[in-house]
Formats: sequence, structure tokens, C-alpha cells
Amino acid sequence: MTKSLTLLTGSLLLAATALNAAEDRRERVLNDRKEVEAAGHWIYNDLPKGVAEAARTGQPLLIVVRCVP
Amino acid sequence: MDKFVCVRLVQANALDLTLFQFDYDLTFAVFFMNTDRTIYGRYGTRSERKDATKDISIESFREALAAALALHKHYPANKTSLAGKQPRPTQFKTPDDFPSLAGKYKPALDYEGKVVQSCMHCHQVRDAERRFFRDERKPIPDDVLYPYPMPNAAGLSLDPKEKAKVKDVVASSASEKAGFKMGDQILALEGQPIISIADVQWVLHNASEPATLNAQVVRGGKKINLALNLEKDWRRHSDIAWRTTTWDLRRMAAGGLVLEDSTAEERRKAKLADDALGLRVKYVGEYGEHAVAKKAGFKKDDVLVSVDRQTSHLTESELFRFLLQNKMPGEKISVTVLRGGERIDLELPMQ
Repeated sequence: MTKSLTLLTGSLLLAATALNAAEDRRERVLNDRKEVEAAGHWIYNDLPKGVAEAARTGQPLLIVVRCVP
Repeated sequence: MDKFVCVRLVQANALDLTLFQFDYDLTFAVFFMNTDRTIYGRYGTRSERKDATKDISIESFREALAAALALHKHYPANKTSLAGKQPRPTQFKTPDDFPSLAGKYKPALDYEGKVVQSCMHCHQVRDAERRFFRDERKPIPDDVLYPYPMPNAAGLSLDPKEKAKVKDVVASSASEKAGFKMGDQILALEGQPIISIADVQWVLHNASEPATLNAQVVRGGKKINLALNLEKDWRRHSDIAWRTTTWDLRRMAAGGLVLEDSTAEERRKAKLADDALGLRVKYVGEYGEHAVAKKAGFKKDDVLVSVDRQTSHLTESELFRFLLQNKMPGEKISVTVLRGGERIDLELPMQ
């Protein structure tokens, strides 16, 4: 009984940790977009918009492929 | 940076592979581009798993920015010199075209729902490319196993704080034979203006085997032309152990084992010669297809001393190449391991 309870508690803890990690990552992904867009300099995840802006201004494109950390 | 229109892409979903061709193991890759899709250059290099910034720096990024602006200023008069920098024809136009990825991801991230799970990572593109060969029961070619070789595959070490400056040249290497010297600044390779180490890797990635690459360097204020002769199989000098995509190679070729060459001390204790195979099992996969070796009886700290009757020295990368080019899924490979001083015969299933 004690062993089963320990296993169950351990599993719940692991599940909770995994859930927290998933939530953290979700938050990071959502915040990344919010923060980068708020900073203003970057066009976030919209290549056609970037190409249109470069065509309008005559500036070259700097395209960064970067996952959310 | 103000002189560029800056775009950030955060996922590989629906990535245009006819345009964005780069080392998909990178977590930071940069393209400098004209609106007509002409690529001026690339930036972003990595050769270590833990230290993602070992091969890049603010200084070299600044130099690449300045060089890209100069190329933009002189465009289109310089278009011919940029021809070699442009993407190559590709069988799969988006990641979704790969059979192993088809239908698994939507073109855009699902910000309202499970956004994390909706994201395809860039490394999955390389995984899918290798899996395509494996599923077709074809050998995975060298250029797919060893993508975007570091210049050190040719004996050349470049300074991460510079555009493409030679930091060191390995004795007796192809680069030394070509005449490269410490301090040389690589201006052009195969006629392409070089603005970063990533640009050098692009040329190497697309080089044939064997190949002669024409280089122009600046040394002591003078421009010097060199010819870099790359022998057949030159890519195999690359170490791919650091790559995220090597995880899937471990599934295919080693049933989930992570292998590491025995140290001199370990070899001495096990009475293994320096030129003998001696790959120690550093980690045994626990789940699914990564647990195949575990189920076959392999244990942590086993030392592989014979694989398919091969007993000469191999690195993990070299062993994977041998198996992935010569053994197909479903085959079982005879392996002898040392465990506690005893020799034990096991069978390693290929996947």
C-alpha cells in the first residue's frame, strides 16, 4: 500500500513537473511574439510583409530563423 | 541593423525550402537577401552541442552586416558573383512534402490552441531527409550525413570573431597543401564573396567529392589565389556527434545508444590498442525505438570492440556512417562488447 502510494505520488509529481514545463514553454512562445512585436523593429513571422517593406524602402532583408528559446 | 528590414521566422512549418537552405541543426540562422530573392550571404555556425555561441560573435555578425550592405549597394552589378550563393534545386519544396512529415503540421502556428505542439523545428527537416533515404532502403549519402561541414574538415580553423579569417591550419591537411596561412582573410571561394564562416560552409556543403575549390585570400595587403583540393570522402572528417539530428541517427544505427570513444586510460585498463575499436556506451535509450539496443541486451559502460567483424578504430560518427550506408532496417548486426572484463556477443537491430 505504502509502495503504491509512493509510486502514485511520484507519478503525479512527474506529471505536474511536465505540465509546468509545458506551460512555461507555452508562455515563452506567446511572450516572445508579444515582446518582439512590441519592440517594433522586427517583423514577426511574416515574410511577405518583410519583402513588401524592403521593396518599399529599398533596404535589404535580414531574415533570422530562430526558434523560441 | 537599422539599414535592414528585419524579419524573424520562428518555425519550420511551411518553410520555403527552395529558398531557405541552411544547416537545419542551427537554432540561429541568418539570411541577407534582396527582395528578388537573391541571397547576399548567410550567417550562423555551430559545432558544439552545449556551447551554441562558440563559433559566432557580435564582432563577426557586425562584419557580416557591413559586407551584406556593401553587396546590396553594388547590386545588381555584382549579380554574377552571387550566382553560386543561390539555393539549389530541391526534391521537397516544403517540409510537409517529406513523406515522414506529411500532414503532421499545419502551415502556421496555432497561437490560440496548442502552440508549442504546433511548431515544427528546423532540425526535423534534416531528420525527414535522412529518414526518406532510410525508408527507401537507400544508403544515406555523405552530404546528407555530414551537412554544412565546418572548414576544419579541410584542416582550416576560422576565427569566430572575424568574417572568415584563418586562425590555424592543420599540418599536412588539404588547406596546408593549398597554401593557406594563419591570418589569411578569405575574400572569395569558388568566386562567391565570403561574408561569414557560414558562407564558407555553404561552399563546402555544395562541393563535390573530390573537388578543387578556388579561393582568393588577402595576405599582407595582397590578394592571393589558392586552389583547395578536397579528396574523395573529405566530408567524413566532420564530427556530427553534437547535432540534434544525430539523435535520430542513433535510433537508426545504434538502437538508441550514445557512444563515446574510450579514453587512453580506459583503453589501457581494457588492454585495447589505440587503433582498435573501443566505443563505450555512454547512454542507453529507454523508450520506444530508442530502447531497441536496451532490449537487445546492451548496457551502459559496455565497450563495443567488434561491430560486424570490424575491429579497427572508429568514432561514433564513423560507425554510424558505415552502418547507415551499408546496413538496412531489419538487419541484425553482430556486436561484441567488453563488460566487466568479459567478452559478450550481442545482436544490434538496424532500424
